[in-house]
Amino acid sequence: MRKTWPMVLSILYASAIYCFIFLPVAVLVLFSFQDGRFPIPPLKGLSLRWYEAVWNDSRLVEALVNSVTVAVGSSLVAVLLGFLSAYGLARFALPAKGLQRALLTAPLTVSYLIIGMGLLITFNTLGVPKSLLAAGIGHVVINLPLCFAIIYSQMSDHQANIERAARDLGAAEWQVVTLITAPMLWPALFASFFLSMTFSWDEFIISFLLTRFDVTLPVEIWSLLRSGLNPKTNAVGSVVFAISIVLVFLLELVVLRNRRRS
Amino acid sequence: MTDRIRTLKLTSALVLGTLAMSQQALATEELNALVWCDHTDPALIEPFEKKFDVKVNLKEYEGTGAALAIVEQSQPGDWDVFVIDGVDVPRAIEADLLAPLPADELPTDDLFPALVMPENHTKDGEVYAISEKFGYNTISFNKAKVDPADLNDMSVLWSSDKYKGKIAIYDYYLPVMGMVAVGLGKETSGLTSDDLPAIKETLFKVKDNAKLVGEVVSSQTALATGEVDILVGGGEWVTAGLSADNPDLDWVLPKQGGMRWSQSIGVFKDSGKKELATEFVKYILSPEGQAKLATSSCYWAMPANAKAGSVLSDQQKTALRWDDQEAYIANSQLYPAPDAELDAEMQDAWTEMLQH
Amino acid sequence: MKMAGGAQSRRIDLGPWAFVAPALLWTLAFFVVPFLVMVVVSLWERVGTKLVASWTFANYLKFFERGHFFEAMINSLEVTAIVTLLSILLAYPFAWIIAEKVPQRWQRIALVLAILPFWTSYVVRSYSWLLVLANNGVVNQALLGIGLVDEPLDLANSRTATVIGFVHFFVMLLTLTIYANLVQLSPNYRKAAADLGAGPFRIFWHVILPLTLPGIMVGAFLTFVLCIGDYITPQVLGGNNELLMPQVIMLQIGRRADFPTASALAILLMIVVTVAYLGFARWIRLERA
Repeated sequence: MRKTWPMVLSILYASAIYCFIFLPVAVLVLFSFQDGRFPIPPLKGLSLRWYEAVWNDSRLVEALVNSVTVAVGSSLVAVLLGFLSAYGLARFALPAKGLQRALLTAPLTVSYLIIGMGLLITFNTLGVPKSLLAAGIGHVVINLPLCFAIIYSQMSDHQANIERAARDLGAAEWQVVTLITAPMLWPALFASFFLSMTFSWDEFIISFLLTRFDVTLPVEIWSLLRSGLNPKTNAVGSVVFAISIVLVFLLELVVLRNRRRS
Repeated sequence: MTDRIRTLKLTSALVLGTLAMSQQALATEELNALVWCDHTDPALIEPFEKKFDVKVNLKEYEGTGAALAIVEQSQPGDWDVFVIDGVDVPRAIEADLLAPLPADELPTDDLFPALVMPENHTKDGEVYAISEKFGYNTISFNKAKVDPADLNDMSVLWSSDKYKGKIAIYDYYLPVMGMVAVGLGKETSGLTSDDLPAIKETLFKVKDNAKLVGEVVSSQTALATGEVDILVGGGEWVTAGLSADNPDLDWVLPKQGGMRWSQSIGVFKDSGKKELATEFVKYILSPEGQAKLATSSCYWAMPANAKAGSVLSDQQKTALRWDDQEAYIANSQLYPAPDAELDAEMQDAWTEMLQH
Repeated sequence: MKMAGGAQSRRIDLGPWAFVAPALLWTLAFFVVPFLVMVVVSLWERVGTKLVASWTFANYLKFFERGHFFEAMINSLEVTAIVTLLSILLAYPFAWIIAEKVPQRWQRIALVLAILPFWTSYVVRSYSWLLVLANNGVVNQALLGIGLVDEPLDLANSRTATVIGFVHFFVMLLTLTIYANLVQLSPNYRKAAADLGAGPFRIFWHVILPLTLPGIMVGAFLTFVLCIGDYITPQVLGGNNELLMPQVIMLQIGRRADFPTASALAILLMIVVTVAYLGFARWIRLERA
């Protein structure tokens, strides 16, 4: 039925793009095993010494823990604020709704660099010291619009009817929100949490500008990068990649299982 | 019954946990240091942390201007230890940032004489800082590709296009502009705005020959991969760490001379932990601390304390070219030490060069 | 703890505000106020190491007076335009192949594979490209190996390298958004067009492309915003052979803590992004299901 040459072309094109997409990752991982100082061809031999170096680098390990803390903390706040505001705007008659929505989503159109700089200058003026908390605040700023938009887009009138039914049966507003709305929206909540985590986990410039002694992993990797050419950077990169892949895989499992159930 | 046991276990775990945490809180007295990246090597810091049971917080910065700005925007007492370019110590003393050090407890007599620099470190009989490490910003190159004799005259970088496209420039304006000034026969200590046009013009010519202007990693990558063969502004601090894997990487001080950089360390006047901070200074200046600092992971360079020689291995000393230092010191000048205004002009010239 | 009280919640009272207020206040305090602070500071001046409230437009004038600032903006716009265009051109056919040619049950895995490298650290990704594109990096070794070139190509440390690094990231992003758009299309449109005698090209041009345009535009805008504000990619890959706006801004912050100039430059960059946003705005709408 189908002509073969478009299929062949498609396969060729897709393979080329896959190669392009995986090229840097493959090289990164391959040369993290380099038995020598230079992470470039020729491959002199395989060794795990750079992974050992990463494991023994307390600064890197601390930064990894910091990154997880900031990612989880800021994502929780972002999802909570995003959910509450989406609920408020979708379910109640409030004045200037358009303006409120515009305000809440405005940070999406502003570069991270500018958001980070604004916070840096403001905190400086107020005498607030740089810290992980400051970086976390910045991460909420960038993730809140996203969480709001995702959750808001999933609030349907169908759910509103169920909520109304619950209210008619005597449920208080907080019960409606926690027992009816949130469970109905959990895929959206989960998706926005996961997305926020991803963005926060990998965010560099805001953390770079707003942290001082305790830094996040991307910032620590950046100082590692500036301190000299070294397959250790490859090893850290590979470890981060591996952790992320495991998370993505787990997510797939959870989502798939959930989908099968419904 | 089992419930009660479980509760008991839980309670004791909680109590223990709280105890452990408060213990930790007690133990972690903290010392905040503003430093160059070589001080962040755990091998250097951990012995001190263990000995004094403190946590040393380190913040790297690039350029004295940025460091002074960081200090100014902090609360008094935020910082305890300051590592700063030797030539900029007078600026810090002028700004009343540093506390006098107990001169009799410092190994000043063990330093290489040229590194004592009393005119920089001393004011009204008080010592405010002491040199800890030094090296050169000059020319690193690949022996296999470049004739070392060519580089004996620095002007090959701008007056010929023999190595066009094979040159990298280290992305730090002070040493590279200083080098160019030296190449043009100027004294770096007396640079003024009037010298800038000539330096800028020459710098642009170097840029025309250059493949890239890069920080340490991109410069090292370019050198290691053969993308470039010459690194302007490089020195032992770039190549010493790499020479084990590529013995062809070398560095030279051309006949015009090069830049000698030196780092000094001092204690902040507003520090609330001056004693501990002074202990840190003494540790860094001790032969052991000096050897670790000289071979720290970010960059290798000569220790200021000559006694470190007994702790360093012969191989390390060869990589640092321990025995040639006398001649090198004689043929090198200190970094330019511009005032704030000239500093801004130099940075603007540098940015223009990048965009050139 | 009854806030709005049962069925009367549609009335305007303080109850609903309790839901919206935290997010609004957060955005005001940590987004709007910092922006205003930045506007104020951009009118100050840095004299020596001090900030002086001198209320001057000098920092903005600098942008137009000093060639290298202005050039940075031009470079940024050029690079961003090239990256956006290239990414769309590469990602669209790819997304289309995944949506149309890959069997249904393999589509999800094909898509996950296509965006997997997203999850490498973004700082490391640029560095990795530096190694790939280096003179004796993998690409050049391969090209030399198969005899396509005699001399290694100068790929690293150039605008080309910056563009490649960017395109790599945005092809993944755009594949995702365009794919999402393509699978939402009802096959009926195509069938109807085919029944009316349209060939594959005309179906694509007159039916599929217009229907997927909003998805493309949203992706293009995302690309634009993320690309023009990115510091790492040009800093690692560009070899400082030209500066883009974020690099110039970071030079002001990192080397001399000149917040007034940095603020002015950031605001100018923001104005450019806003203008772009207005151009894209007709395609970007927030809708509820």
